[in-house]
Amino acid sequence: MAGAAIVALGMTACGDNGGGATPTATKKTVKVGLAYDIGGRGDKSFNDAAAAGLEKAKTDLNIEANELEAGATETEQDKYNRLKLLCQGGFNPVIAVGFVYAGVDPANGPVAKAAADCPNTKFAIIDSVVDKPNVASLVFAEEQGSYLVGAAAALKSTTGRIGFVGGCKVDLIAKFEAGYIAGAKAAKPDIKVDVNYLSTPADRCSGFNDPAKGKTAAEGLYDAGADVVYQAAGGSGVGVFQAAKAKGKKAIGVDSDQYNTVDPALKDVIITSMLKRVDTAVFDFVKSMGEDKFAAGVQVFDLKKEGVGYSTTGGFVDDIKTQLDDYKAKIIAGTITVPTKP
Amino acid sequence: MTADTVLASTPGGMPAAPVKARRLSTPVILLLVAAGLLAFSAVRVITGADDITSSGAVRAALASAVPIGLAGLGGLWSERAGVVNIGLEGMMILGTWGGAWGALTFGAWGGIIAGAVAGALGGLLHAVATVTFNVDHIVSGVAITILAFGLARFLSSLTFANMAGGGDTQSPNVPDLPRISLPGVSALDGVESKHWFLVSDMAGILRGLLTDVSVLTLIAIALVPLTFYLLWRTSFGLRLRSCGENPQAAETLGVNVYRYKYYGVVVSGALAGLGGAFLSMVASSIYREGQTAGRGYIGLATMIFGNWRPGGLAAGAVLFGYTDALQLRRGSESVHALLLLIAVILLAVGVWQIVRGTRIAGLVSIALAAPVAVWYFTTDQIPVEFVQAVPYVTTLVVLALASQRLRPPAADGQPYRRGGG
Repeated sequence: MAGAAIVALGMTACGDNGGGATPTATKKTVKVGLAYDIGGRGDKSFNDAAAAGLEKAKTDLNIEANELEAGATETEQDKYNRLKLLCQGGFNPVIAVGFVYAGVDPANGPVAKAAADCPNTKFAIIDSVVDKPNVASLVFAEEQGSYLVGAAAALKSTTGRIGFVGGCKVDLIAKFEAGYIAGAKAAKPDIKVDVNYLSTPADRCSGFNDPAKGKTAAEGLYDAGADVVYQAAGGSGVGVFQAAKAKGKKAIGVDSDQYNTVDPALKDVIITSMLKRVDTAVFDFVKSMGEDKFAAGVQVFDLKKEGVGYSTTGGFVDDIKTQLDDYKAKIIAGTITVPTKP
Repeated sequence: MTADTVLASTPGGMPAAPVKARRLSTPVILLLVAAGLLAFSAVRVITGADDITSSGAVRAALASAVPIGLAGLGGLWSERAGVVNIGLEGMMILGTWGGAWGALTFGAWGGIIAGAVAGALGGLLHAVATVTFNVDHIVSGVAITILAFGLARFLSSLTFANMAGGGDTQSPNVPDLPRISLPGVSALDGVESKHWFLVSDMAGILRGLLTDVSVLTLIAIALVPLTFYLLWRTSFGLRLRSCGENPQAAETLGVNVYRYKYYGVVVSGALAGLGGAFLSMVASSIYREGQTAGRGYIGLATMIFGNWRPGGLAAGAVLFGYTDALQLRRGSESVHALLLLIAVILLAVGVWQIVRGTRIAGLVSIALAAPVAVWYFTTDQIPVEFVQAVPYVTTLVVLALASQRLRPPAADGQPYRRGGG
């Protein structure tokens, strides 16, 4: 009984919002529903970047927000339920943070199913492409940002060997790896790049949440002679920084400027971070909703749009900044095309 | 009449003598270790995969074996008392939180105690459910794992979220425990980096085992013989084990079965909690939601692997930790080298089995060795998906080969009511 009542309420709310497109003179309140990826708020990385975008929207725009967290062991059905809960609760738009919301088969994954159930609600998915008329797919050109930090790693390496730690063997992380290797080879053609992955989708990508594994993998790379390691491993990344600290080597952060978010004791190992402006993407999307400018389809946040980039906090890459900015200009101009597969 | 008779007459009526005959004597074990060392060294020299006996790999193997081994020991205590504990994973999660919180609040040693206590509380809940209320052991264990996950999130939002650098899903950096090095061993660095046959391998292994070792690792290692002593050499242990073999008979001899089951399950939780604390304090210096990543279940598998005995369990944990460390450190290179080792071992086992008269098993082993060797010689690398599966495949293979000789406690997982026999 109670369940039926809630569903009925939800339907009404959904309908209300659909009709809410009538033009009003004042700025309307946007009710934003946001579903986090595994790790959630406080991961000092990907999810926190999304949270930062939402926080900015809260202060700058007239919005109301509901944020829901994901569990580490949940199924696609749980993710679908969470999105449906938001859209039936009257939240429009609903933002799904993370490729996991697209599901194994994006055409029938959590976002696609929820978008079909709530046709009047606008959805956004970050890091994946879902082809539905009411879904905006916000993706990043991670390979371009990774190219720049790859070049930085190669230029900073004295041993001629650098490393990469990926959280999970999926296409998304392969983009980081491919860009990183391409950038490193461009800066130093004879550089050796060793690659370690922490998990596969078979074990639910546990490598995004296992700092102990990140530490072991990075130690292996450093022991093999690498002196700079780039991590795209979410919550496991802190293990990479710890290994760098213990071995007196260097590391490169990911997603947000990790020099600023990591524990103070680990700051000095992070020479730069590959910035992925999830905050910009979330903010811009919410803003566009407020202005009734929703656009379905794929939006790529690349170097040109400043959707990706590299950080200079700490001053470790100041001496090679001109070279990096040169690569950046060439990528923007299209004279360098960065591969997305290693 | 003592509780000894309970154990002598197991329900299955399995005679004790053949088990004893299979026990390996000390010289044989030493010989096997030496042969293993030689094989590893030879494989390293032939393949050039220097990481398989490096000090870094050995240290990483130890670090990855400790939480698994502690969870396995936890399982041992519980199942020896007759309670199946599939909630080890949950108790480990409580331990990761407890360890981080305790270390941040009371200092590193406080973390060890808090981790063990948090795990023990999870164990207590399991004991209340399974022993007092006779809930199905599997149901209670699964429920505790789900509950622990939510509880850890809730507790983190109350504690770590208010600390600088923390959040709902992760803690600030956790203070580390002291690390100990045996003086003089570090000097072996020069020997190890020469990559000499056998000598460098031994130097690498010694350095890995004797330098930069966390205190908690030493505690964990000490817990293995301590468990053996307590469970197999004291009257307390005899009574506890009798509850897992034949609780009705134990009851007739005046053993308070409920109380001993409680002891077993609570200690089990404490050990799993300690394993969790090791993860959040030593292995990664940070609490992170979901960081146990199924290690509790793997611990349970090592317990079965070890035939419900501490020594075998420790060997299983080391085997698993070693393959896990290798694949994480150098991925396909080291694991590719291990293919050759596996082929050699399969061949040796096959020949040995034929000599002992079990011809079919021997031929199967030799037949398996051939494709593995072909695989080694025709490829340079192994796909990462397979590499990731190596620790699990290793465990599966060993379990499959050893399952005939495994003997769980006779009354393991069965409900018990006082006076119900």
